[in-house]
Amino acid sequence: MFEVMNAGLETAIQDYPGRVGYWNQGFPPSGPMDHWSFRLANVLVGNEPGDAALECQFTGPELRFHEDTVVAVTGGDMQPHIDGEPIELWRSYAVKAGQTLKLSYAKTGARGYIAVAGAIRTEPWLGSRATFHKAGVGGFEGRAIQAGQQIPTGDASGGTPDMVVIPEARPELPSDKRWEIEVVAGPNDDWLDEAGVRTFLEADWKLSAKSDRTGYRLEGPGDRLTFADKAINKRPEHGSEPSNIIDQGYPNGAINLAGLTPIILVKDGPSMGGFINPFTVPTSGFWKLGQVRPGEVIRFRAISVDEAQRLAREMTRICSRESLRPA
Amino acid sequence: MIYEEPRFLPGGDRYMLIEFGDEMNLELNFRGQDLANVVAEQKTKGVLETAPCFASTLIHYDPELISFADLKKEMASLIEGLRPADDIELPSRLFYFPTVYLDPWTKECVEDYIAKIAKKTPDPEYVAELNGLSGVDQLVRVHSGTEYWVASLGFWPGLPFTMPLDPRCRLVAPKYNPPRTWTPKGSVGMGGMSTAIYPEHLPGGYQVFGRTPVPIWDTEKRFPVFENSICLFRPGDRIRFVPCSIEEFEHVEAQVADGSYQYNLVEYQKFSVAQYKEWVAGIDETQRF
Repeated sequence: MFEVMNAGLETAIQDYPGRVGYWNQGFPPSGPMDHWSFRLANVLVGNEPGDAALECQFTGPELRFHEDTVVAVTGGDMQPHIDGEPIELWRSYAVKAGQTLKLSYAKTGARGYIAVAGAIRTEPWLGSRATFHKAGVGGFEGRAIQAGQQIPTGDASGGTPDMVVIPEARPELPSDKRWEIEVVAGPNDDWLDEAGVRTFLEADWKLSAKSDRTGYRLEGPGDRLTFADKAINKRPEHGSEPSNIIDQGYPNGAINLAGLTPIILVKDGPSMGGFINPFTVPTSGFWKLGQVRPGEVIRFRAISVDEAQRLAREMTRICSRESLRPA
Repeated sequence: MIYEEPRFLPGGDRYMLIEFGDEMNLELNFRGQDLANVVAEQKTKGVLETAPCFASTLIHYDPELISFADLKKEMASLIEGLRPADDIELPSRLFYFPTVYLDPWTKECVEDYIAKIAKKTPDPEYVAELNGLSGVDQLVRVHSGTEYWVASLGFWPGLPFTMPLDPRCRLVAPKYNPPRTWTPKGSVGMGGMSTAIYPEHLPGGYQVFGRTPVPIWDTEKRFPVFENSICLFRPGDRIRFVPCSIEEFEHVEAQVADGSYQYNLVEYQKFSVAQYKEWVAGIDETQRF
């Protein structure tokens, strides 16, 4: 068990891949935005990669441990300290009962991850401990953790202190605030014409501050996107705007063209709706959405389904004990 | 149009969208729902979950267990074996929803959007005009004059995507550009030819012109109708919006708050697609209410 001394900006319990199996009722997966850093945090302390751990946004929490355990911090650099002494990211540390782990603001990236040996053991909701903030379900009492809460954890005896993630297995954050993010064409890419596809892929898109865990709004040349004939001459039940389609299931990670504003549907995003999704961010590109900050620039790079699946497989291999060595 | 061959479209590395056609009708909706049901019954290897809607089914799969190409083959063969819609008879519940049309709450929401985000004709006037109605009063008559078929749940937990069963009540409308950042809980609105109820205070893209005080999802399961699921509706249910006054709305709202509200529904009745089609064939679709 650990106690929340200070919650940070928005720190929440997540697991991976989250709440899968309820898309037909409208429940999103939730779970960590940067699944790469999240999984490695767990692996470092001896947990399974998908076990429940903490996701911190922009400013991290302060936690006090009630028993001896092992912790690790990964992701964006939130300058972690144990009892006032700075510790390294991407490394596991033994902590004693009574010690505190304190994170500060993110010097790089947007999200930090804290894993604790034995993992967080709150009551699962619909099969997952992931927090779905807006609906007030999952996690601890359905929302971000709060100061004063006691968060239950599992048996820490299998914890693995003093391990590090080898440098080549760590995600690399750009130093110039420009991101290249993989996308796969579809499901509705043929609603744009060739010029529209080119405009989309060649543009600089800025992440809007009006973004949250349901959707990432992009600012850019949305009003210059051009459409194929099927988007214009179509049956009335689609709705008359070019981006309107008969309501359909949305892939998580889809880039939804809502009117002329692209919105990337992220972890707490909608399962269905009536706008086209010309592109989808696959697993291998999705982790970057956890670290890009509002105001930073995204360019999309189209890859094939096969390539996206190969990259995801490679990432799963990286997010394992293979990537650790003793400190 | 109903496609001769369904279209199998990729969504990233883990999704496949199967489109059966590009119109809104019961037959296509049954294709989508039936495929999802068959996949669930057969526990198709590698399929994690599905999301059927009006004319399509989205499949979430694990590419480590089944490739896109094999999933496509598997789905094509399951689709071959689906029953013809004309044979379908299913139990269907009918829910009555007290609804204040042209209510002050959605009006305020639309005015806020117009002031802060984009100029537009207020939603009820806009939908009435687009559909050649004499005004907002006729919009209320036409919109409340039919049962709505719950084709699927999605967007938000429990939100029903529905279509009008009476062809005389078909209305169409574009979706917002850009979408709203908020919509009052319980708002009733439409986009394309679909009508929905917003389960919570949420962003949205439908034209809104009514509001109901009756909850359609409940994580605390305060009412018996939520015994088996925290979402009220199931695909195949029907909804009727019953125009009511603000006083009635407030009365129901108070009953919901103190737990005494009784959901107004007709339990399972048999719904026959063949009979429905026969009824539709006898109707002059050009007539409005």
